[in-house]
Amino acid sequence: MTLTPDKPKAKARKLSMKERYSALTRDLDWDPSYVPADEMFPYTTFEGIKIHDWSKWEDPFRLTVDAYTKYQAEKDRRLYAVLDGFAQSQGHLSLTDASYLNAMKLFLQGVSPLEYQAHRNFAYLSRHLNGPGPRFASLCQSLDEIRHAQTEIHTLSNYNKYYSGFHSYLHMHDRVWYLSVPKSFFDDALSAGPFEFLIAIGFSFEYLLTNLLFVPFMSGASFNGDLPTMTFGFSAQSDESRHMTLGLEAIKFLLEQDPDNVPIVQHWIDKWFWRGYRVTALVAQMLDYMLPRKVMSWKEAFELYFEQQMLGGLFQDLAYYGIKPPRDVGKAIQEKEHLSHQAYWILYQFSHAAAFTTSVPSDETLDWLEEQYPDTFPTYRALWDKEKKNVANGGRHFVRGLPQLCQVCQIPMGFTEADSPFTICQRSVVFEGERYNFCSDGCQNIFEHEPVKFRQAWLPVHQIYQGNCGGADLGDVMQWYGMQPGDGGEYLGSPDHQNWLRWHAQADHSELGED
Amino acid sequence: MTVQFELRTQVIEPQRKTFQHLVDRYGDRPASRYEEGTIDLQATANYHFRPLWGPELDIYSPDYSLLKLADPYSYVDPRGFYYAPYVTSRADLHESFAATLGYLEKRGLFDRLPEAWRALFAEVVLPVRHYEAAAQMVSSHAARFGWGTTITQCAAYAAFDRIGNAQLLSRAGISFGGGTADSLADAKVRWLEDDALQPLRRLTEETLVERDWGLGMVRLDVTDQVLYQLLYTHLDDAAITGGAGSYSLVSQHLSGWFADQRRWFDALYKAWVADPEHGADNLATLRRTVADALAAADTALRPLAAKADELVGAGCAAALDQAVAATRTHFADLGITTEES
Ligand SMILES: [Fe+2]
Ligand SMILES: [Fe+2]
Ligand SMILES: [Zn+2]
Repeated sequence: MTLTPDKPKAKARKLSMKERYSALTRDLDWDPSYVPADEMFPYTTFEGIKIHDWSKWEDPFRLTVDAYTKYQAEKDRRLYAVLDGFAQSQGHLSLTDASYLNAMKLFLQGVSPLEYQAHRNFAYLSRHLNGPGPRFASLCQSLDEIRHAQTEIHTLSNYNKYYSGFHSYLHMHDRVWYLSVPKSFFDDALSAGPFEFLIAIGFSFEYLLTNLLFVPFMSGASFNGDLPTMTFGFSAQSDESRHMTLGLEAIKFLLEQDPDNVPIVQHWIDKWFWRGYRVTALVAQMLDYMLPRKVMSWKEAFELYFEQQMLGGLFQDLAYYGIKPPRDVGKAIQEKEHLSHQAYWILYQFSHAAAFTTSVPSDETLDWLEEQYPDTFPTYRALWDKEKKNVANGGRHFVRGLPQLCQVCQIPMGFTEADSPFTICQRSVVFEGERYNFCSDGCQNIFEHEPVKFRQAWLPVHQIYQGNCGGADLGDVMQWYGMQPGDGGEYLGSPDHQNWLRWHAQADHSELGED
Repeated sequence: MTVQFELRTQVIEPQRKTFQHLVDRYGDRPASRYEEGTIDLQATANYHFRPLWGPELDIYSPDYSLLKLADPYSYVDPRGFYYAPYVTSRADLHESFAATLGYLEKRGLFDRLPEAWRALFAEVVLPVRHYEAAAQMVSSHAARFGWGTTITQCAAYAAFDRIGNAQLLSRAGISFGGGTADSLADAKVRWLEDDALQPLRRLTEETLVERDWGLGMVRLDVTDQVLYQLLYTHLDDAAITGGAGSYSLVSQHLSGWFADQRRWFDALYKAWVADPEHGADNLATLRRTVADALAAADTALRPLAAKADELVGAGCAAALDQAVAATRTHFADLGITTEES
């Protein structure tokens, strides 16, 4: 420390933000010379995608590790403070109704495990993509996704202490019939190559459909007094906007690299739109039926977030690359006034085998639905009027048999023809002597592209018939699913409902007592 | 407001203390956030499809490594890191590094480094940022292919740590280069071309292509142990006696990080060796892998140590002998004995 500083050298040009970011991220990369490149990156050729220049990847955001950890630590500090406060003050009692939590049960069982899967596979991309730019972006997303999985679990953990249906969400995700819908979706993405995963999850899930898959749960929370979930949603927002820009950059990058990539990407868009859209059936019924206080109808959400924003915006831009809107988008539009009603009707009839409860919609809800769906709901309302009579006569409707499932999306085959909304749609294909069933042309198309992949699907109903699910009768299967009494079936009179009434009655009495 | 107040003071008995899988594992007690956010998160059954990129194994499988645990959750991270405490701890690390860097810049301390130490930093230490970047990739591979969330979570955070270390060195390099990327550019050429660094680069590339995530991590860790002792412990001491205090101020952040890295990794070695079902096989695999990796690290780091000695004459060759011996002893203490080659 005895030396004096050198005379300041000729003023060197300082780094711009972009150069600095590049120096801290992609400049860390080098071309290996002691091992062959295809051994270094073994997974990026088999899909047929051609990348000529990885350096053309435009960084979708510029966050270095120091900024990332600082920003995220601050967000988590605030989020966990809200969770702790809510738990200490018995905040769950200020929800609109205990039945609201059915939406959150579905979320924890069906969505949180997907966040975890995204975490693992973005880690795969952060190793196995050749370009250092997308590797670093994927690394950040991998971390974000374990954050989402964990903060969701921690957010909903408090409800698990007081309400049914949450307790075995992981076990159920890998076993229960309706959860096989989101699980097979993500397993499909993880078992695809890295480029397909980028389009399936990075683009399709995180950009194209995120406002239909994720946002409705968060809005539902804010409308129904669920402060923790709402806070989680807000604190995930800045992560999600990074994910959206990553997805958009990914698709542009692939399309710009080589014209031969265009048809491959187009097929993935077609496939993953339909895959994702089928998963949104669960969201559609949640929005229209499960929320005691409604946010917007499925139809409205679909028109705003998909038709206007995506078809009217995004796909206009993608047309420049020769990309067309997803193949089966017309069918999705045709059935937007039916999807939620059909999906809820299926879940209503099978909820004795589910870890959430259902009930005949209240008159208020029925009126609201009729306002939202003036053209189609009268028909569905007739169904509910009939069911109300069944209930009054002590004959609430549950289907005792097992439904046939679509080989691709795994939803029971209860959807109707898109252009003839009261005829059940059934498609089938024979492949190597075996017949496979589909709920729609969209699902059939997906199968026909990859029959060898989709014949492997773990179909819950087949598995029950094959004796792989604990036994032959419903009780055995429910036990194997990890169901506990009160998890499923009818909401009215369920343990959650009874507790809710009791807790509120106690509160009211104490209030009276004080006056 | 009265109703609100009453609701809040009312005693409501919870129906359960935590999720069922934690009750099954730990008994009927409340679980920590680490446990709720970690244990059993990875699917272990009923995968729908075999990977198109490798149909031999399932999406997740214990067979992506020779190193196995009968129950992956017999291992837990001794630091209890889930995302929130992890990023909080790293925000602190980078903040304290930024404070150091601010101090070094304010006092012009990089410029005051003795010439020999300037050369050492530019030619030997800065190029190691590329090694750190590769360490991210090796760790990310483990984060994807590992079996069980307690392990993969540690690997995922380690991956982020390594790119963080690379950035920490790079930021020091930018400061050192007077706010430019010149010294980084120079260091990259050295990483690619200098004879003294080629054996380390070769070893790094060979570690990167190891498909077995467990063996990849062990090889990396063995090299880490030797390299960190040499660069951030031995040279740290030498810097202080050599009037290069600013080198020591930088290197303390890396040696501090490495102590944290040891905590989860050493616990994992113990779990591998102690496993009731796979312990003996793991031990055999570890002994073989550690012995190989230690010999490889010794060879790879020889020219780097010689170069450091050429520049600052700090007894690095002898320090390398010592670091190799200390690493061997460290493994022996974990029950993983290796023959001296
Ligand atoms: Fe997420
Ligand atoms: Fe996301
Ligand atoms: Zn289908």
